[in-house]
Amino acid sequence: MGPGKPSLPAALVRELEELVTHYPQRRAALIPALHRCQEELGGWLAPDTLEACAAFFGLEPVEVFGVASFYPMFHLHPSGKHVVGVCHNISCALRGAEEILAEVCRVTGADVGKVSPDGRYQVQRVECQGACTAAPMLVLDGVFHENLERAEVERVLGTVPKGPRLLESLR
Amino acid sequence: MTKITIDGREVEVDPKKPLIAACHEHASNVPMYCYHPGLSPVGSCRICQVEVKQGETPPRVVVACRTPVAEGMLVNTEAPKAHEARRQCLEFLLKNHPLDCPICDKAGECDLQDYAFMEGQGEGRSVEPRRKLEKRKSLGDVIVLDQERCILCSRCVRFFEEVTEKPQLTVAGLGARSTIETFADRPLEGNYQGNVADICPVGALTLKPFRFQARVWNLDKFASTCGECSRGCSITVEVLRRSEVKRLRPRPNPAVNQWWMCDHGRFSFPRFNTGPRLAGSLIRGTDGLEPIELEDALDEAADLVRAHGKPLLVVSPWLTQEEASAARELGGEGLFLSPAPSPLKDDFLHTGDPCPNRRGLSELGFAPVAPGEALERMRRAKLVFLVGERAAELCGIEALSTLPAWLRLVVFDTHPLASPAACVEIGVPDSCERTGTWINVDGHAGMLSIARSAPPGVAPLVRTLAELQRRAQGALAR
Amino acid sequence: MSAPLKRETYLLSRVDLPDSHRLAVYKANGGYAALEKVLTGGHTPAQVIQLVKDSGLRGRGGAGFSTGLKWSFMPDPAKDPRPRYLAVNADESEPGTCKDRVLMEKDPHGLVEGILVACYAMRVKTAYVYVRGEYRQSYERVEAAIAEARAAGLVGQKILGTDFACEIWMHKGAGAYICGEETGLMESLEGKRGHPRPKPPFPAGFGLWGQPTTVNNVETLSNVPFIVLRGAAWFQSLGTPKSPGNVLIGISGHVERPGVYELPLGIRARTVLEECASGVWKGRSLKAWLPGGSSTGFLPAAKIDVAMDHDSIKEAGSMLGTAAMVMLDETACTVRAMQVIARFYDHESCGQCSQCREGTQWLHQIFARLERGQGRREDIELLSSLANGMAPGKTICALSDAAAIPTHAVVKHFRDELEEHVRLGRCPLASPHDVSDWVAEEAHA
Repeated sequence: MGPGKPSLPAALVRELEELVTHYPQRRAALIPALHRCQEELGGWLAPDTLEACAAFFGLEPVEVFGVASFYPMFHLHPSGKHVVGVCHNISCALRGAEEILAEVCRVTGADVGKVSPDGRYQVQRVECQGACTAAPMLVLDGVFHENLERAEVERVLGTVPKGPRLLESLR
Repeated sequence: MTKITIDGREVEVDPKKPLIAACHEHASNVPMYCYHPGLSPVGSCRICQVEVKQGETPPRVVVACRTPVAEGMLVNTEAPKAHEARRQCLEFLLKNHPLDCPICDKAGECDLQDYAFMEGQGEGRSVEPRRKLEKRKSLGDVIVLDQERCILCSRCVRFFEEVTEKPQLTVAGLGARSTIETFADRPLEGNYQGNVADICPVGALTLKPFRFQARVWNLDKFASTCGECSRGCSITVEVLRRSEVKRLRPRPNPAVNQWWMCDHGRFSFPRFNTGPRLAGSLIRGTDGLEPIELEDALDEAADLVRAHGKPLLVVSPWLTQEEASAARELGGEGLFLSPAPSPLKDDFLHTGDPCPNRRGLSELGFAPVAPGEALERMRRAKLVFLVGERAAELCGIEALSTLPAWLRLVVFDTHPLASPAACVEIGVPDSCERTGTWINVDGHAGMLSIARSAPPGVAPLVRTLAELQRRAQGALAR
Repeated sequence: MSAPLKRETYLLSRVDLPDSHRLAVYKANGGYAALEKVLTGGHTPAQVIQLVKDSGLRGRGGAGFSTGLKWSFMPDPAKDPRPRYLAVNADESEPGTCKDRVLMEKDPHGLVEGILVACYAMRVKTAYVYVRGEYRQSYERVEAAIAEARAAGLVGQKILGTDFACEIWMHKGAGAYICGEETGLMESLEGKRGHPRPKPPFPAGFGLWGQPTTVNNVETLSNVPFIVLRGAAWFQSLGTPKSPGNVLIGISGHVERPGVYELPLGIRARTVLEECASGVWKGRSLKAWLPGGSSTGFLPAAKIDVAMDHDSIKEAGSMLGTAAMVMLDETACTVRAMQVIARFYDHESCGQCSQCREGTQWLHQIFARLERGQGRREDIELLSSLANGMAPGKTICALSDAAAIPTHAVVKHFRDELEEHVRLGRCPLASPHDVSDWVAEEAHA
């Protein structure tokens, strides 16, 4: 990236300039924009990313940080390459969510809330994902795997590409 | 204006302000945390609960900061249900709050202590471990943050956003895990940081210069005016053990500074504790400047006037109207020292003009003069009176020390001056030790108060000048 | 015994068709006939509002407020010409609830048509569909449906060749339950933290960007085209007089066939359990159940015959909410269930109000201790006392109530189970591995 204030990549800026036209006030596009920044810039919202995003919206970095920190889907620390969420709320808990979570930890080697030793998986507990009548479930890179049996966990987690995900960042 | 009844008193209130403002204006003590008259109301802390009754609908308990006043409203701030609601709220706030009172700077002026005492229940029922957060997080040179003490009223966030118009703090996270943060641990910036420590209802945001310096109940407090620029913010001077100035804080003044003051003014007080003071009078003898009684110093000064005519008056811009009027009686031409404008000038409070009484002095006929020019004028004069707190400092101590010995300089100042030109030096009270008036940039009068005694041997400057004028009367009249 | 309720499927009538989400299939099955009817059949916007009022449709997002009445709160554009908005609440996050998702994934055009008719009625030109961030497929399907509709002249300018113009934009949330609260949703849509706003002012007077706004749930809007086409009397022929129409009932937990089923309001909960879900699983018996998502509070098995409508459930001591039934069998521990539910509110409280921020955490901590066997007898009274301090109506929004209500319910109906945990110093029903999640608790971000 080089010296000076961080800024978003040109392609992303073009995309966001279109997005802001959907709203009477530019700032309304912030949360959809943060999703795109997280997707495009390393799978998390680094301080540089937040600052670049703030510059795009004409906001102070602290405002964007305050917003991003409110929402569980935004990662403010480097995450594993593949994020695994296991819902632990009531319908899933009644149908074996804790066993699923234990199995996910066993297969990945990650502690709950942490990144696995090989850096491939980030395992987290999540709240109700809206798959209650297909419980239990896990969500892997945003894709739901429902009506999940413990024996299937290893196969499901293995569906991620083997190699490292190509990461792009502002650096 | 809208007519409502508060605690049995029928009053007329401003319909543009929320109910809580009306209650406070009419001596009803409604507690508050997130509400502040200088910030937008959010209604989040839920402590300002009062009972209201409108028409035929049954009374209900509401948060006063988000309730508009309505004609005929009956307000009961002491209703049992209102007290019960506040009591419940306090138990929730105290659940995670650390028991830091013995080491917390805010003790004695803490809204959590005060309201817990007024409305709380005495014992909490929580046996859960309290949340653990950062307890002494430096936010720069001015503020230290204790996240555990924070009750998330968000006043500090709103202050930077709304009053300085540059957000610097945010609430991060959500729920019971919320914390106050800057971005990427950056320090706070700007000349108004200290205000967040004032408005923080608890000891979460405290001033580094004041940390562990004093217990607030040991401080004597006096209403006064800041002298660091021509805004003249209303302040409170707070003195420990009747001698050391420990703190300056803003005092609400809707016409001048609302509820705020800048850090430059706020942290200027160490000057008042710097010695050695010119405690008494000095006269030039064979071995340099020697102590002398004030009476004798005045006689000597009067002799100088008789011998050399009216003096050139170079006064400090810190001179009050009363002192300046008295000084003018002595005069010759009157000049006031006008140093270079300050780069701290902004769109908010700091005027950039370091002369607190420029307007008043101008109205009394004193002309502004830059320190360099003042020195030139002094060199050409037969007799010079350098008058007032900080006069020597603003003229330039070094420059004054190079004045020739034949120049007759009479100094009336707070600190002694080492200059061969000084033949008489008379001590004066500083702006914590005298009453008087300054006129600010917009023409508002700001008063000084006596917050502590001047050193022994130092008389009020108004009296000193009047005495001198009386003794030199004949010579001055010529 | 009253007459059996009329059974008719309309909301889910298209979902089993192949490519049910595509415009061609939608149109071939009655799609956009309602929009055409209002635009070309001479229905004024006011008439459409009256029609929805007359139908008695109540919001399906959990609060059950009269939809027509809510629409009528929008000011007269002649008196208030400011821009105005419809925000579609597709943030579906109430635990147990997954029915809006079915409509968005399988019949997105039904939602789009509902949005268009609603915008026509309230004279709104811009609608936003706020979809929870996790609902990827719902977002993609609704987005694609809007694109199809736009290409067919049904969204945008001069719709169906008339003066009616309406833009519909997609908007993604990012995982906060509180953004399903209508004012929290608006704050989030404006690009801020999802902090609910105190009411008054109400959205119709001060909504998105301070302008008149109505917030409606997905299922609510999906009902609208059917009401337009078939009339208020038809809608009232379904369900009960005070709760007319069909509702999507989800049933999950300890049942043989969890699922989302379209049924008339007023259907007996037992019917849903036994006929639709094939009863409690594994041959066990029912112990406790939630009628409408975790905010509504547990009812004992004895109340399984209650009718699933707003008033009947209220009388039974709970709420219809999102009609998301969650069933617990005799091996389930209600204290453990409350620990899970209390944990949710602890995580989701926005943190503004003192009682909710501290109270949701406190309730969670107490239930966790009780389940771990570290409860005290006084904790049971403390739960009730705290819940009384948190609700009703003491906070900016109802999340505090949502945590307090199930707390009151479990103390009322399952006090003996709470007391047994205290007396034994452990959960009488827990299996060993259940304890493992306490260790991992702290790590939840």
